[in-house]
Amino acid sequence: MIIQPESLYGRLVTWPKVVAQPVKNCEILPTFKGNTCQRCGCRNLERLPRQQFYCRQCLALGRVSSLDHFLTLPEPNHFNQKHMLTWTGTLTPQQNEVSQVLVQKLKQQQNHLVWAVTGAGKTEMLFPLLHTALNAHLRIGIVSPRVDVIVELAPRLEQAFSKSDMVVLHGQQPLPYRYTQLVLATTHQLLRFYRAFDLLIIDEVDSFPFAGDRMLAYAVEQASKIDRTQIYLTATPTPQLQRQVKRKKLSVSYLPLRFHQHLLPQITVRYVGDWRKKKRQPTVPPTLHQQLSRYYQSGQRFLLFVPKIKDLAPLLDIIRQHWPDMLGESVYAGDPKRQEKVQMMRDKRIQYLITTTILERGVTLPGIDVLILGADDPIFSENALVQIAGRVGRSHERPSGLVCAYVTYKTQALRLAQRQIKKMNQLGNVLRQNNDE
Amino acid sequence: MMNKCLLCQESILTKSDVLDILGIRTTQPAVCAQCLTQFETIGERICFGCGRLSHDDTLCQDCQRWQSNGKQLLEHRALYRYNATMKDYMQRYKFSGDYALREVFRSVLLQHLKNYSDYIKVPIPISDQTWLTRGFNQVTGLLEGCQYQELLSVRAHQKAHQSQLNRQKRMTRKQPFELIDGTINLQGKSILLIDDIYTTGNTMYYAADLLYSVGAQAVRSVSLAR
Ligand SMILES: [Zn+2]
Ligand SMILES: [Zn+2]
Ligand SMILES: [Zn+2]
Repeated sequence: MIIQPESLYGRLVTWPKVVAQPVKNCEILPTFKGNTCQRCGCRNLERLPRQQFYCRQCLALGRVSSLDHFLTLPEPNHFNQKHMLTWTGTLTPQQNEVSQVLVQKLKQQQNHLVWAVTGAGKTEMLFPLLHTALNAHLRIGIVSPRVDVIVELAPRLEQAFSKSDMVVLHGQQPLPYRYTQLVLATTHQLLRFYRAFDLLIIDEVDSFPFAGDRMLAYAVEQASKIDRTQIYLTATPTPQLQRQVKRKKLSVSYLPLRFHQHLLPQITVRYVGDWRKKKRQPTVPPTLHQQLSRYYQSGQRFLLFVPKIKDLAPLLDIIRQHWPDMLGESVYAGDPKRQEKVQMMRDKRIQYLITTTILERGVTLPGIDVLILGADDPIFSENALVQIAGRVGRSHERPSGLVCAYVTYKTQALRLAQRQIKKMNQLGNVLRQNNDE
Repeated sequence: MMNKCLLCQESILTKSDVLDILGIRTTQPAVCAQCLTQFETIGERICFGCGRLSHDDTLCQDCQRWQSNGKQLLEHRALYRYNATMKDYMQRYKFSGDYALREVFRSVLLQHLKNYSDYIKVPIPISDQTWLTRGFNQVTGLLEGCQYQELLSVRAHQKAHQSQLNRQKRMTRKQPFELIDGTINLQGKSILLIDDIYTTGNTMYYAADLLYSVGAQAVRSVSLAR
């Protein structure tokens, strides 16, 4: 097997101990220290015969075993390209202010949190930072726990920096790795890097799909150089991040206004009785029924969130029976027709979707309202509720809208979500007043 | 107790939960029913010589050829068809090296081996190189908990993996194995060869040749898939 030295720059390549090293003078690192896998930082060991073992935690990236070691070469920043920002838009004053802070943080090699409401235009705000870093020959990683965030980001960055070479890495990507200055990847892919990035930007840092935050934190640390800048982007910071901000261990910029300068819609709460009828078939409680009648009259498009997949079909039946000419579908994460149905909603061929939490992030449906039946179910966490509320008011034409939670009782999560929205809106109001003056 | 399916990570809830509460130990299934149905068993109608699916009761052409070459048929039996799911399983178990996945079929295979109680079970070996890279023999992994004897080893200079050779090369390859103990005498013994996959039969017939040459009375074979 032939390996180019540059494919080892800032990487961890698993290599069998018994096979000769493919590159002269490369560094060799152990795969395990004690019981801890040095690629993912976990201790999920699985035994092999003859006193050997492997890590089952990061197996999806190729097996790391006690029969292997890692090969790596220090990141040399061999980049000579001139970079141009080919984006022609303009930043709002707030976006501009934050983007200047980010450039400062890069110079000071400090970490920073950007707490931006959904729809604030985070990506554009990164462009000046990226432009500066690229021309300083720094190696840059932009990562997210969610593959759809990366897939959506890639073409926008390719457009903004059309002369710059970048690689996009995620589990569904068939193209192999190659050495580039700019890397777009899922956080999972960071496990394959070692002290590679001078600048690491982590988008939707709170949306790690499973409770594997430890592995994420480990991956981010491993992939960053010792002297580096990390930027965290989020609409809903985790309690850990909020704590760091409170203790002044992490500096923060707020972007409380959406790109159209409007506030986040607050969550309205409506109390309903036992809408699941003794925990069985779901029903449409009267207040929700009235709201649906109004939508039937007005033609306003909406999403109806429910806690469980098994709620979808019965509710769709009830609504279709009552309002047969109001068109809608139900959709869940594993739905084979998921893309198709979401597209129907985008194309305005249907008026509503009934859905589980899967649509909470990433999906932009301008001008919709959002109803959450059973918002007191534990599946709706504080951050999930803020994200769901963020689906509303995504267009210039309809910058606000209704977010209504139907509950039997008010949960702590709901209370905290309302508080989070209120806080951002207070900050937003101050900004708006300053703008007006 | 709840455990997770080794293949899809979904939680498996079993009837034995009640028994667990009562303190009666039962073995937990390693995979969920959903995943298990994706594997196809071979069925009853098979070629007597090689265990492949068959629509009449005659020997298949391959087996007729083995016979006319003077071989004693192995009366091979395979448990599952080598369909896409099995191929994917082998990819994960053997080539990605997820040794934990031996549990998916271990008990099924051990159950089947009870039909061969008076046979000496002999796994097909892997090369030294594979021991140092993959780190396990995929066959003996499946045999954990059953008595077997490693009588065979892979001869040096036979390092290429079977799967990397094309059919032509596989057919013309020379004896790939040798006896670990050159002085062993199997006079009057019945041997059951065990491999993960039966493809051309070449591997098995080479191993059988070797065992017959030191006196074995009968050599049969079993594989997980074919
Ligand atoms: Zn690991
Ligand atoms: Zn399963
Ligand atoms: Zn046959």
